[in-house]
Amino acid sequence: MPSNIIISGVGGQGVVTTGLLISRAAIAGGNHVVMSEIHGLAQRGGSVSVDVRIGDYYAPMIPDGDADLVIGLEPLEAERVLTRAGPGTKVLMSREKMAPISLGIQGKEYPDVDQMISEISRDFVVYAIDAITLARKAGNARTVNVVVIGFMLGLGLLEIPEKHIVDEMNIMFPGKLSAVNLKALELGKEAGKSNTLRWAPVPADSS
Amino acid sequence: MSTYRRLLEGAEGQFLFLLGNEAIARGAIEAGLSTATTYPGTPSSEVGDVLYELAGETGIHFEFSVNEKVALESAFASSIAGLSSFVFMKHVGLNVASDSLMSIAYTGVKGPMVIMTADDPSMFSSQNEQDNRHYADIAHLPLIEPSNPQEAKDFLIAAFEISRKEGLPVLFRTTTRISHTRGNVKLGPIIPGERKGTVEKPGRSFVTLPSNGYHFKEVLIRKMDEIRDNSYMMILNRMEGDRKSPHGIITSGEAYNVVRDVLNKLNLNIEILKLGFTNPFPENMVSDFISRHSNIIVVEEVDPIMEIKTRSVAQVNGFDVEIIGKMSGIIPYSHECSPDSLMEAFSKIFGLDYTKKEVRMARPDLPPRPPVLCPGCPHRGTYYSVKRAVKMLKINDVIYSSDIGCYSLGNYEPFSEADVLLSMGSSIGVASGFTKATGQRVIAFIGDSTFFHAGIPALINAVHNNSRMLLVIMDNDVTAMTGRQPNPGTPDQLKLAPSGRVSIEKIVEAIGVPYLKIVDPYDLKETLGAVMEGLKGDGVSVVIARRECAIIRDSRKHREGESVKYRVSIEKCSACLNCVEHFACPALSISGGKISIDPVLCDGCGVCSEPYVCPFQAIEVIPVAI
Repeated sequence: MPSNIIISGVGGQGVVTTGLLISRAAIAGGNHVVMSEIHGLAQRGGSVSVDVRIGDYYAPMIPDGDADLVIGLEPLEAERVLTRAGPGTKVLMSREKMAPISLGIQGKEYPDVDQMISEISRDFVVYAIDAITLARKAGNARTVNVVVIGFMLGLGLLEIPEKHIVDEMNIMFPGKLSAVNLKALELGKEAGKSNTLRWAPVPADSS
Repeated sequence: MSTYRRLLEGAEGQFLFLLGNEAIARGAIEAGLSTATTYPGTPSSEVGDVLYELAGETGIHFEFSVNEKVALESAFASSIAGLSSFVFMKHVGLNVASDSLMSIAYTGVKGPMVIMTADDPSMFSSQNEQDNRHYADIAHLPLIEPSNPQEAKDFLIAAFEISRKEGLPVLFRTTTRISHTRGNVKLGPIIPGERKGTVEKPGRSFVTLPSNGYHFKEVLIRKMDEIRDNSYMMILNRMEGDRKSPHGIITSGEAYNVVRDVLNKLNLNIEILKLGFTNPFPENMVSDFISRHSNIIVVEEVDPIMEIKTRSVAQVNGFDVEIIGKMSGIIPYSHECSPDSLMEAFSKIFGLDYTKKEVRMARPDLPPRPPVLCPGCPHRGTYYSVKRAVKMLKINDVIYSSDIGCYSLGNYEPFSEADVLLSMGSSIGVASGFTKATGQRVIAFIGDSTFFHAGIPALINAVHNNSRMLLVIMDNDVTAMTGRQPNPGTPDQLKLAPSGRVSIEKIVEAIGVPYLKIVDPYDLKETLGAVMEGLKGDGVSVVIARRECAIIRDSRKHREGESVKYRVSIEKCSACLNCVEHFACPALSISGGKISIDPVLCDGCGVCSEPYVCPFQAIEVIPVAI
């Protein structure tokens, strides 16, 4: 089970909520968890990352190179935290693009996501998902983070019993949000099980 | 909508996965708190958010004070009336409160008083990383440092007990990694606090005239000496690990966590003296600890405060011991204690062959994502208009003096409207100074809450000294950057309970500012005109750009079911790129050579559709399907 997880994304995407859900489900499974939240200056739209450490850890910061899993809710933000990833890190990313204003100011467009993924997959095992499409299908574009957690479950990357995830989701997203989020989890899980979106690292000489 | 109720409902013995700041708020409630005061500041803000929400139900008197100094004074009043008080702020807030802090140390308190400072090593959201443990030395006050959310709650309760017993205010220091770390916290019982206190008449004097201060100082020093041998030292400070190890580590706060992780990783069993009660320095305990080891490593954040005191203990006792820390150049002086920096330091100390794990190099063309103003943020219209006004008036050497708040982000491209920024309220004083020191035109920016906090005396000063400058007060109704807390200008509908409201324009008028205009920053034409006119004035000109915070507007619209979104007409868009290059809303981007608007991000403010931003009128409302 991955014990050092970095979750990154853009403020407003639910990065902290993703960390909370994984942490709470892991605790429900009897694990010790510490989680760091760095909120940054912007209320929305800035780079956000959260470290979740499951196991016998004291400090919430994951040392460079020790991450077992990077969850990027946005491609550029996945790329940004990969400077903290190591040889064994697996990368799971949502393909949903959110262009930082720095691109527009320079008159530039968002880099090609397929090319980004293929470059990242030279160094890491990458699992990419078009989470926004599935989130919309579930009924709310803002459930991207839950789709991604479902994707992890489907891939078998998150060895937390699904029951704990669902139980904590019902506490965190009560009422009418509940059904939409459960649907998002299910769609993510199906995508993970079909596992057609995996990019395995290719040897450098073959590229 | 209640978000923190579970902190009140949690029963004794129950575990909750809490943010350090949530654990602190619960700790204050468990301790039987009467009064809580604060001025919001990251990383302390959530403590106030919790206590503000739960104040009605718990009966705690909660106050968002106008600034940290007033917060401290207001809390102090409760404590000399025999009630328990808690005042909390970010580290630089204690600078503002420090004048009264020094006096409170002298007078002491009757009811317990805890003063929390949330320090920010590595400056995640602050202008500096000052180590506020120094204040405990300057003021001669007890100092407590927790290491995790559980300790944050438990040690806070201990801090109240120590304050009650000793009659002194107690400083409680967290750092970002304590306040903003989540961990599982076991709850304790809640003691209801007292609600009404009395200042005894006749009673003891709290007047710090010189004749009293002379005696207060002697009493303070005597008390601190007695506390040095207090039994709390044994509860809040502990030793763990192999007593026979040649090395010994003295550490506190978050540094302790990093030490434990690094020792585990290196498979080393070394004795640790983990300090939670660090002032007065537990000299006997430290002396006993030093005597068992030939090398002492001191690991702390940020300054070598415990290291200096450890060196002093060693010198006084004549120990032949090597002391390693920041002063010996092994542990870095700046920034937080990170696992990587400590791993490197320990490898040097223990002579281990350590090579850092190979990490991936950042791709050089990775576009940065600096913090940005939200979609729909009224400040965007203000900054856009001011820049345009300056350009239209052909002023080439304007100096921008900025301040603390969301609008600090005007420093970044494309606005670049900040040349100087120091501290809360500094924009106006610095701007006024520029008018004397240079012949340049000066524009200062300040937010509503920051204006109330420390801007008013500086505006009086500018008028008093005939400064020729433009001040733009960016009023969005709330203290936005820390999470939209209410301030003296906040309308009642944005508060949990009605309270007095202070008018910014009436203050400005009363100060005698000759030019005052109030504009809506969504109306670019009006804002541009007011700024241009203000820049032509001979004295202090003030433009109040007033429009509610976009996040508040968004949640109101969401509640009311209103959903207006904009889109770009591909036929009309000439790809002039003015909107992305100069207005730079996060919802706008270039896609396939044209502008596109992200419908999830678009907040429907429509400012980008104004001809000042889109001269081709290519941005239009998405028609709602009927």
